[in-house]
Order: sequence, then C-alpha cells, then structure tokens
Amino acid sequence: MEARHPTRDYVREEVLPTTFCPGCYNGIVMNAMALAFKELGIYDLRSYVFVSGIGCASWIPNPYLKADSIHTLHGRAIPVATGIKLAKPSLNVIVIAGDGDLASIGGNHLIHAARRNMDILVIMVNNLVYAMTRGQQSPTTPQGFITITTPYGNFEKPFDISRIIVETNANYVARWCIVNFPQLKESIKEALAKYNRGFRFIEIWAPCITYVVRYEGKTAGGALKEMSKKCVPLSDYEKLPMEKRDGCIAVGVFKKELKPSFIDLYKSYVEKAVGGVNGI
Amino acid sequence: MKERSVCLIGSGGQGVVFAATVLANALFAKGLYVAQLQNYGAEVRGGSVMAYVVFSESEVVNPFLNSFNVLIVLHDFNVSSWMKYLEYSNLVIVDDLLVSKNFCRAIKAPLFRKALEIGLAGRENVVALGFLAGLNVVDKDDLKKALMNTRDFEQNAKALEAGYELALQMRLKELQEFSK
Amino acid sequence: MRKLLSGNEAIAEGALAAGCSFFAGYPITPSSEIMHYMARELPKRGGVFIQAEDELAAVNIVIGASLAGAKAMTATSGPGFSLMQEGIGYAVMVEAPIVVVDVMRVGPATGQATKPAQGDIMQARWGRHGDQYIVSLAPSTPQEAFELTIEAFNIAEELRVPVILLIDEFIAHGREVVVPPKLVTKYRRTVMEGGEEPFNSMNPRIAPPLPELGSGKYLLITGSTHDGWGYRDVHNFETHFNLVKRLRDKIMLNLDRLFMYEAYGNEDPDVLFISYGSTARSVKEAVNELRSRGVKAKLIRLKTLWPIDLELIKRLGGDPKVVIVPEQNLGQLIMDVERIYNPFEYRVIGCNKVGGGIPIYSNELVEEALKVLGSGGKASN
Repeated sequence: MEARHPTRDYVREEVLPTTFCPGCYNGIVMNAMALAFKELGIYDLRSYVFVSGIGCASWIPNPYLKADSIHTLHGRAIPVATGIKLAKPSLNVIVIAGDGDLASIGGNHLIHAARRNMDILVIMVNNLVYAMTRGQQSPTTPQGFITITTPYGNFEKPFDISRIIVETNANYVARWCIVNFPQLKESIKEALAKYNRGFRFIEIWAPCITYVVRYEGKTAGGALKEMSKKCVPLSDYEKLPMEKRDGCIAVGVFKKELKPSFIDLYKSYVEKAVGGVNGI
Repeated sequence: MKERSVCLIGSGGQGVVFAATVLANALFAKGLYVAQLQNYGAEVRGGSVMAYVVFSESEVVNPFLNSFNVLIVLHDFNVSSWMKYLEYSNLVIVDDLLVSKNFCRAIKAPLFRKALEIGLAGRENVVALGFLAGLNVVDKDDLKKALMNTRDFEQNAKALEAGYELALQMRLKELQEFSK
Repeated sequence: MRKLLSGNEAIAEGALAAGCSFFAGYPITPSSEIMHYMARELPKRGGVFIQAEDELAAVNIVIGASLAGAKAMTATSGPGFSLMQEGIGYAVMVEAPIVVVDVMRVGPATGQATKPAQGDIMQARWGRHGDQYIVSLAPSTPQEAFELTIEAFNIAEELRVPVILLIDEFIAHGREVVVPPKLVTKYRRTVMEGGEEPFNSMNPRIAPPLPELGSGKYLLITGSTHDGWGYRDVHNFETHFNLVKRLRDKIMLNLDRLFMYEAYGNEDPDVLFISYGSTARSVKEAVNELRSRGVKAKLIRLKTLWPIDLELIKRLGGDPKVVIVPEQNLGQLIMDVERIYNPFEYRVIGCNKVGGGIPIYSNELVEEALKVLGSGGKASN
C-alpha cells in the first residue's frame, strides 16, 4: 500500500502546496488536528464547520481543510461561529485564528464567548506578531521584542491570554507549545470528544518563522530546540520562584470542566419561556 | 367625526407617554383610527416630554400636527420648546401648581392638586385623562377599560374619577363649547 | 385582526410572520423595542435570541446563523449601523441573506439619541468600502413597516443579499393601527443540490442557490475575492471583475421588481414632491391642500430607496415647474434627484429640517411650493 501522510485525508489536495512560509509551524498545527481526528475515528469532517478570521493561522482551514470552512472578517470569527452553532446546534464548530485576530481586534468577542460558555472550540495559534502584515507588534508580543512597529524593543506588557480565559466561564483551557506535539494532539482530542460542550480554548505557542524566529537569527529547528527548554509544565511552573518564571512558558491544561454550556442553558431557558415567565 | 387631536406636555416621570398610550388604547378599542406620537429626551426622570394622539374615523393621513384640539401642560420644564403648540392649539389647559409661567388663553386647572388631594401625587397624568373624559374627548368607561391591565388599577381608577369630576365642576364656557 | 402597534413592534411582528427564527442585537435607542419583542417571542417559538456584546458581534452572529440556514435579522440605530457596515459588506461578498433594521436617529455621533432623522440613507447605500449593491426599503407607516419587513426577508432570501430596512424614529415609536395581512407570501431559499457552483450563476438575474453549512458539500466561504466554488483568488482581474459585476447585476437587473413606490396626485403636476418615510406623510397632506387650492401637485413616495429607478421617476414626474425633495436631513436623496433634472430647465429644491423631533409640517411645504410657483417656478436663467 502506498504510504500516505495522515493529514492528506483531511486536506483539499487540489490547493496544495500551502502558501505558508517554508518551516512555518502552521503545518504542525494542521498535522496535530488531522491526527486527532484520525485517532478519534473521525474520517469525514461533514459535521464540522471551521471558522477563521484574517491572518496566517486563519488560512489553515480555508482553503486547506476538507470541510465546510468560513473565512470571515478580521476579528469576527467567534461571532460568526456563535451564529452557526446557535442556528444549527448539531454542527461542531471550530474556530482557528491567530493572536491578533482573537486577542486584539476580536478580544471582546473572545471573552464574551468564554463568559457565555458558548459551545465552540477555539484554537488560537499564537505566533507572537501580526505575521501576514509584516510582523507588527501584537498583544502577545513579549517585552523587549523588536518588531517593525516596536523598532526599539516592545515596552508593552503582553496578554497571558490563556490565563484570562481561565478566569471566565470557559469549560476547557489549555496551552501548548508547538514542540509539545503529542500533548497538543491529545488536548485537541480531549476538547473534541470528552469535553465536547461549552467554550474550549487551546492556545498554541508557535512563533512566526519569518518575523520572529528569523529576526532573532535562529533556524526553525534551533528555535524548536530552544522552545522545548522554555516550556515548563504548569505544575512545575507554579513551584518556580517569581524571578525564574520570566522567559518560561507554562504549558498544560489549565482547566477542564463539564459545566452546562450556553446551549444547555438556552434549552432550559426555552422551557421557561414556553411555560411562561412571570406571566408574560 | 372630524380628525381630532389631544396633546400632553410634561416632564419625564410624570407618565405623559403612559397617559397618551392609555388614551390611544381606549380610542383604538372604540374602533377608531389612532396615531400616537411622542417626543422625549434620554432622561428616564426629568427632561421635557410631549406626547399626542390623533384619532379619526378614517385613516390618519398625516399624524404630524403643530396644533391640537386640546393641549394639557402638566409641567413647565423646558416648555418654551413647545411654545408654537401653546400658541396654535384650540384649548390649552395648564396645571395651576406645576406650571408657574403665565400663558394667555390658557385655562388653569388644579390637576396636580387634585392628585395630591386624593393622596395620589404622581398620578396627575391619570387625573388629566379623567379631565379629558369630562370634556367628552373620550369615554370615561373606555379609559377605565384601557387602564384595566395596568399596575395599581384601583388607584388609577380613583384618579380618573377625580379628574372627571374636576372637569365637570369647572364647567368652563370653553369646555362646554368643545364638548359639543 | 387590527392592532395598535408601533413601527418597531410592527417590524418584529412582520419578521416573525416572514419566518424569522434568529435575532441578535445590541441595545440602542430608538431600535431596542424590536429586540425586546424578539427576546420575548423567539424562545417561545423555537427560535434563537441572543443579546450580542456589541453591534460588530450582532451582525456577524446573524451572518453565521444565515449561512447555517436560519432566516436572521438584527436591528440597530445610527452609531450601531456604522459599526455594522463592515459586516454588511461581508454579507454582500459571501451572499448571506440577512435583514438589518436601521432606525434612523439624529446624528452624527451620539447626536440626539431619541429624536428622529433621515440621515442614514446615503450610509445605507454607500457606507461600506468597495463596490457593492444592496437593497434598502423605507416604510412610512407601521402598517407598511410590517409589510416591507416581510418583503425584506423575501428579497434577501431570493437574491442572497443583505436588505436594509430604513425607518425613522417617528414611525418606529409612533403607534398606529396595523391590520396584518391574512396571507403572507414567504420565499423559501433554494438550497444547493450539488453540482452547482455556490457563488456563480449562469443567469445574472438569479442568485445561485444558497450553500447550507453541514450538508456535506465541503463549502468554502470567504470574504476575499473568490471564484464560483469559493476558492480564494486574490490575483486575477477576471475573477474579481466578474464577481463584483455579478453581485451588481443580480440586483440591478431586477430593478423593475425591486423598485417599489407610490404615486399620488395629479398626472401632470406643476409641483412634484419626491419623498420617503415619515416625511411623505406630511407631503401627502400638502398635496391634498395644494390641489384644493387649484395647484396641480403630485407625490412620488419611494418605498424602495435603493436601488432607485431614476428613469421611472422622471417618467412619472411629467414636466413639473418645481421639484421639491423634503427630507429630515440636510439633503441626501436630492443629490440623486438632481441627476435626472437638467438644472437649466428645472428647479429642484430641498425642504430640509432635522433635530429636536420636530417634523416637516405640511403647511411649510405648501408655503414653500406656493412661494416657488409665485416666483415663476422653472429655472429662468
């Protein structure tokens, strides 16, 4: 039998090769997702809808994934996903977008979808910059980092976006670096199957190969090696003294719960409405 | 019946729009064509409020009027913006306590004092509705029916009755003329 | 059964009658009552209501719902409408049928939030970037608000285009008698059966069938320029030109059907009024008054503001001595009206008043008309 890359069943082969830069970690994200689907025994993504915004990560589903995919406006992936899920709850809705899209221009939608525990899985590919538009500073760019809009070093403090979502009503929050491939894959599986309700958020630390890794004078492989040293499991991270935490990335599952989701609560709300609330 | 119109002017919180809504509902229940319009600010309490009802047996072609058959002023807050209405309307009734300015042609009526008297300060809007019933603008029982589903129906009914009595007591020449 | 409804309530009831099952909105005066009504009714009727975090979310939630197969609507007012523009442009591009209600209030910025205006009509037409065509309807009574809301849904579904319902605060908050029609024609969107391109149509008058999400078609939907199958093509001239041309044609080739109006008064008038929305109510009375004084007068009231059939208006208007365009703004529709009347032959004047919730009164229009007629009417230079 011909050897076949596991991802190929899930991509539109007619649009390959992808437009990602050589060495881009987006391919690893696609791979992790494809393997997760495969290992869950999902061979056909008919009941899945992928929604993305604008940016490099948003090109992963549209046009490469072989499923219904919607490429929305910059920052508006979550509202569109919300509309789809509420109008057709039988669909599994997955949002894939970058840090600029989800945490900056769409930041309000992100925290509100999390507050509502909206039934969508959000995969945020955090490449630390606005890569599609030449690598400007984004809300997750580390301090001191040189970008085209912070030519003397970024002095703004970045968001720890996973921690923000942990504080909301979300059901599942995890963060992995691109080097934590097996854990990332398991995490996606978990968010698709075991924790299949409510707001699920997976942040993937995947620095832009062109505007972060190359700017720092590293190679794709070298950056991965370095990253694997920086990744600290959540339990270990919390034991670290404060001064040693700088430069470390806490990875792991921050939160997993099965609280009633927006749709669960809406269903009981509808029962109330049909029964008549306060005599209305 | 010719097209007729009633306008109420007051301050936010006095229930001017509420009164116009009740009046419109009462006239609508009679089978008339009704148009109810209002003009108010962003304030929930205070600010200047105007609401009016146009009613007719045939369809209301144009609800935008600058004079009314009856105009009741419950408060003179920013009343200067409605000066034109006061000038052109047929019958102008102003509250004798809450409206301190003097307007020529205006008839003073103790609407608010009546509400105070029966212990229902703040229901001068319903007193005004009763007053309108006393002028034969609208049937009192229709108003009562329209008030049926409101909160504190008992108190509203009392205020309505008080306003009605007040209009009859006053027996003003102008009122008599209008009621024809 | 006759009802006493405000324009906002009539829109909500009209939407439900048209089969609207999804509403997302954000509170804003003076459109909130539509949302209140939907919040009360939709959960009871198996529909979905969600209060969005802002207008950007509201319009995009509605687009998502529409792509998933629901008849969806949102309602807003001036500032919110400005925020929604990008989303409406997206709906034009991906051909998502949605209905957006804009209850026009005094602007710019916060303006006078509770007071009526007609200042958003050019924004409704041109508010978005790029070449785009939309349909916009302007009811002038609560009764018509009910009927045109149904029409808005039908047009949106049939042509896969956002339809904007422009209503001013006078009609939105004014309560009047509404007699809901007994029989409501509801257009059901054609769903893709397979084989057809979801973003291309051989007949430019007809919108392609709507791709429904989750039907196993592996749809690609994008706001970037795309070909008939939805593949992004951000390089080729032909792809883009054909796409925007088709998006225009599916509306403009249906102009005869989309352009709805009411003509009232003398066939061959000396005074021609062109108006829309609540203002047209005063104009109608002014036409009656002028005619009773022996002046030949006519009103052309636009129920459809966009697309506008200027040729038809010219034909209906005859050869007037003066054309008056009353609007509750500083003159917006008049810019289009001026295009059809040669300035050396005709006098086109505006009658503008906005702010404070003071309408244009009919006597003002009569006076204006008589004044211009007295001075000879037609441009004499």
